[in-house]
Amino acid sequence: MSIKADANVQRWIATLPPISWALRQAREMLIGTLRQGPIPQHVAFEMDGNRRFAKNNHIETIEGHNMGFEALAKVLEVCYKCGVKVVTVYAFSIENFNRPKSEVSGLMKMAKLKLEQLCQHGELLDRYGAGIRVLGERDMIPDDVLPFVDRAIEMTKHNTDAVLNICFPYTSRAEMTAAIKATVDEFSMPAEPAATPFSQARITETIRSKQPKRAEPSLPTLREDSPDPAAKSDVDDSVSSTTTLNPGSPQTEAKGKGKAMPFKDAESITVDSINSHMYTADCPPLDIFIRTSNVMRLSDFMLWQCHEDTHIFFLKCFWPEMDLWHFIPVLLEWQWRQKKEREGRSGRRLKTE
Amino acid sequence: MPFQTKDTGGMNPREREELLKPYLPAAPRLHEASIKRKQHSNKTASGLGVRNVLKKQLYALSFALIHAIFSVYIRIRIACHAVYLRIVSVLYHHHHTPEYIQRDVSGLSRKPKHLSVILNLEEGGKRVDAKEKLISEVADIAAWCASAGIQMLSVYERTGILKDEMQQSHREISAKLRNWFGKYQAPDLHLHSPNMEVVHPSYYSAPAHKGAAEYGIAIMLVAEDDGRESMVDLSKVLTVMAQKNKLSPADITADVIDNELTSSVMAEPDLLISFAPYVDLQGYPPWQIRLTEIYCEQDNQSVEYQVFVNALRKYAQATFKLGK
Repeated sequence: MSIKADANVQRWIATLPPISWALRQAREMLIGTLRQGPIPQHVAFEMDGNRRFAKNNHIETIEGHNMGFEALAKVLEVCYKCGVKVVTVYAFSIENFNRPKSEVSGLMKMAKLKLEQLCQHGELLDRYGAGIRVLGERDMIPDDVLPFVDRAIEMTKHNTDAVLNICFPYTSRAEMTAAIKATVDEFSMPAEPAATPFSQARITETIRSKQPKRAEPSLPTLREDSPDPAAKSDVDDSVSSTTTLNPGSPQTEAKGKGKAMPFKDAESITVDSINSHMYTADCPPLDIFIRTSNVMRLSDFMLWQCHEDTHIFFLKCFWPEMDLWHFIPVLLEWQWRQKKEREGRSGRRLKTE
Repeated sequence: MPFQTKDTGGMNPREREELLKPYLPAAPRLHEASIKRKQHSNKTASGLGVRNVLKKQLYALSFALIHAIFSVYIRIRIACHAVYLRIVSVLYHHHHTPEYIQRDVSGLSRKPKHLSVILNLEEGGKRVDAKEKLISEVADIAAWCASAGIQMLSVYERTGILKDEMQQSHREISAKLRNWFGKYQAPDLHLHSPNMEVVHPSYYSAPAHKGAAEYGIAIMLVAEDDGRESMVDLSKVLTVMAQKNKLSPADITADVIDNELTSSVMAEPDLLISFAPYVDLQGYPPWQIRLTEIYCEQDNQSVEYQVFVNALRKYAQATFKLGK
């Protein structure tokens, strides 16, 4: 219980008027200072170490999670004040469902409570201009938590200055799988015909009425030309399907329909098309990835997003200990590297000139 | 979202809001911003403007100061790390003797089966000997792995220059291994690369039974194309199959993708060593690094044996638990 007592004493000292005023001024000063340099647009946190922190300090596991939430609130405040646009946090992994039942239900209860509190303070969140989004497998959220999730999203929908992504039942592999699936879906749906005042049915009708005799002899050859569609390539498929639909004159039909293939070309799939189906599609690229508690793994979080130009930091502190003073060295080092990179680039340019 | 969660149990929302007031930004951006702007335009060139300018100057000054201090700190840190690595590498030099490396790793409780490294082409490959240097680095690491008993090594190099002439790379790495182990004890080297034929030793014939392939070392050369691009290629194949009704999009599961990427690109490595000053994945295959332990010696610039050993030590200490 000593950790709690310590925290209480600290809080009591911090609330003494002169000290709280000085602390606030110092924070303002620091944040204002950091804003002078480049600011990351997108920061991701893997909040690791709540349980180990609780164990080391002999407090309940759920109390550790509670303190972790408090730390998150502090860090978010710093981030948004500095001007970070998107913060992504890993709240709950799909694998976490394997934890002891009591802990999972405790976490869910906490999620419900926090989201409920969020809803009560809707206008306070507005001050940061932060909109909440929940990323992950929606159908895995327990039924009793889901309404709270929806309400929190709904209430902060109009905030577009900043985004808080909460990854809740999430794993990166599930995300990538979903993105690939969505891409395949997109490209295997027949392409919608362009809106046009001309009616295909009318055209075929006219053609048929104009050339009633020629259509008859062309039918047998048609059947030969369109056997089992599965055995042929896509282009053949498209021809055979159009011809079977309109048994008019196959040659002209095929030529006229050449542009409007029933499927989009699979070869036109690029990294961007998969990227556009990721949960973070409309977020800026990930600049900083922070994982606490000295574990050096990504652990199925932001695998696709940590691709390049993401600076990955593994911090030694446990997540509940995370605050401004742990975050600032990271930000400073990132700014320093950014400066180095820019110098390196301009130096190279000078050399080549 | 700064909730002081601990004492909020018995509070009502109003009390909580009171608690938060000092931490909140001065003015809500949405509602009061427009009002504020109006007031601002009314008081033209008031004291507020001067104060803001002064404040900005102060921030700029302290920014310069903080970064100056930080820059000094980081330079000292780099120097300290460099000195430390120098000293340790002199004390524990491997002397190109596999037995020394075996001794170094013998105390470790577990070793990675599949090690991966990220290497850089020096100065973007502009220097003539950049490729040779890279191959000699790969050969060194291969020798360390062979001595430490790691049989699978994957080398990620962004541009894929190593894949150009695999026969030549194979020759050079084999020569180095013979240097280390002696002509007859050198392990057989198998050089793999996604979508390319495996390069075996010239005297190599396919093993009669499965166990025979157990000795030797396999090196997998991976480049940027094998990362995100490989997933794009997989999507293309899946799309074509879906278009021909050979598969429904609902059949695509993580297992299917995992199976395909594992067999056509590479499996998930156990340990990834970055020899750069900080962790930079440079487009490393995203699917495969899910649970990979990442090791990076802070501020280190070059491929050093000591980094390799430190990484193995750290890996042995790391506790492994998925979701727990």
